[in-house]
Amino acid sequence: MPYKKTELKFSGKTNVCEIGVGDAAISIGGEKTLLFLGDEGFKPAVGIAITDSTEDWSDCFTTIYGADLKNPAAFAKAAVAKSGADFLLLNLASADPNGADNSVANCVATAVAVEAAISIPLVIEGCKNAEKDAKLLEEVAKALEGKNVVLFSAVEDNYKTIGAAGGMAYGQKVCAESAVDINLAKQLNILLTQLGVKSKDILMDVGSAAAGYGFEYVASTMDRIRLAGLGQNDESLQIPIMTNVSNDSWGVKEAVAPVEDAPEWGDQEARGIGMEISTAAACVVGGSNAIIVRHPESAKTIKSLIAGLIG
Amino acid sequence: MSKFMVIGERIHCISPAIRQAFADRNPAPILLRAKEQLDAGADYLDLNIGPAERGGEDLMQWGVKLLQENFDNVPLALDTANMKAIEAGIKVYNRSKGKPIVNSADAGDRIEYVDLAAANDAMVIALCSKEGVPADNDERITYCSELLERGMERGMDPLDLLFDPLFIVIKGMQDKIVDVLEAIQMITDMGLLTTGGLSNVSNGAPKHIRPLLDCATLAMAMQCGFSSAIVNPCDKRLRETIVACDIIKNNILYADSVLEF
Repeated sequence: MPYKKTELKFSGKTNVCEIGVGDAAISIGGEKTLLFLGDEGFKPAVGIAITDSTEDWSDCFTTIYGADLKNPAAFAKAAVAKSGADFLLLNLASADPNGADNSVANCVATAVAVEAAISIPLVIEGCKNAEKDAKLLEEVAKALEGKNVVLFSAVEDNYKTIGAAGGMAYGQKVCAESAVDINLAKQLNILLTQLGVKSKDILMDVGSAAAGYGFEYVASTMDRIRLAGLGQNDESLQIPIMTNVSNDSWGVKEAVAPVEDAPEWGDQEARGIGMEISTAAACVVGGSNAIIVRHPESAKTIKSLIAGLIG
Repeated sequence: MSKFMVIGERIHCISPAIRQAFADRNPAPILLRAKEQLDAGADYLDLNIGPAERGGEDLMQWGVKLLQENFDNVPLALDTANMKAIEAGIKVYNRSKGKPIVNSADAGDRIEYVDLAAANDAMVIALCSKEGVPADNDERITYCSELLERGMERGMDPLDLLFDPLFIVIKGMQDKIVDVLEAIQMITDMGLLTTGGLSNVSNGAPKHIRPLLDCATLAMAMQCGFSSAIVNPCDKRLRETIVACDIIKNNILYADSVLEF
């Protein structure tokens, strides 16, 4: 009998979500097969993270960025220049009511300054307090109208405000966040769509974990979501995935423990980069269409990994 | 596993309103029924123009174009005893959302409908019968094999044949229903797809009993691998049963709003 090559055919296609404006805009998603499986040359985008609250950041970032660390606009410029990233994430952790409780107005001013300082698309991350993020991301959406930024992220408790403000009133993109819960990931996409946000304006953050810290749940979640979207043609899951691995990767003991405490583990900065690259690479292979890292070396390495696989 | 495929049965010349609309070439009643079925989640629409011995070709082409132009090239099952009308319908059919389905062939007088599907790269509903209802599963599987061979000899992909085991009416042939379920399992085990007109099982039963029998039969059939059915998608209970079974079989991913999307 002659050999017959059997190819797994997918009936669905991941949506294309465009972020940023003009020549700087980039497209996320669009693949018709599992990532790196097809020959369509689809490339995940790589983002670099900065923050307005660097207290918890490892010392190596002070060496890399120096005084820029305290000036978000300069920080953003330096991060883009050093990493060659496709887009930038600004984390506004200072807004956290259980932390510095910085005002919405101050945070919006930071977002506006950062947007003006860079020429690549911008993602604005809130402080992960649902109530504060609703107010903060709504005002950010308003102040940056026309810039097509990503509001990162809407959760079950604030999706109405963030979806209505970002996805509808001010024409931004909305990222729907669920913590490694496939059913909630689908549910949030449905709720945002029912609210009136167009599918092409939605991204999803399905959650992550540092490699070695329960990552297998992340992998199976991403897999199941992609197979439902592509194989079962489930439109509510044909949404590109954006994953920020920077907080998880730089928060585990392998990245945090100083060399004095764990001399056998070697250089602390190299360990942090190693954790971040392992996690980011696993996410990209698992289905993330856009990956966000903290260290410029991580960004460069993931970019070259993608280029090496796709050409 | 793929999601269960629903073929909406409500554009049928047995309905006086539809028969009249066909005769007058009046789009409104047909479009209304098409929309209701698609809103209720139909994947395919059956377009049954009856025997259509005279003018069938023209009528089928009119119906195909009407439905596809108004509903984003909705995929259709072309349903008539007039082979020329099916051929004519396929000529104007847009395949962007799925192949046309020829409805239907059997292992007897209607075996040439398989040839028609093969020649036109269409799918075909293949009734596992020759003359009337098959007596037992030996007959069903014999006819199934004959139809499969006929299609494959003519270059068809086996998955383009949808085998209909012929559902039996419970009132009168209650002892044979389990056979039908077993036949679905046997055909599924051969790696093939199945379909069928489900509502026959409850024929003659009171109105409040029919949905119960239809839904229970469907759920049990899906467990045996039943992969599509020709049904009324506007039957809410039936539609919800399909969604629930699709979830339990892991054909679709669960979410709290799964009935609303």
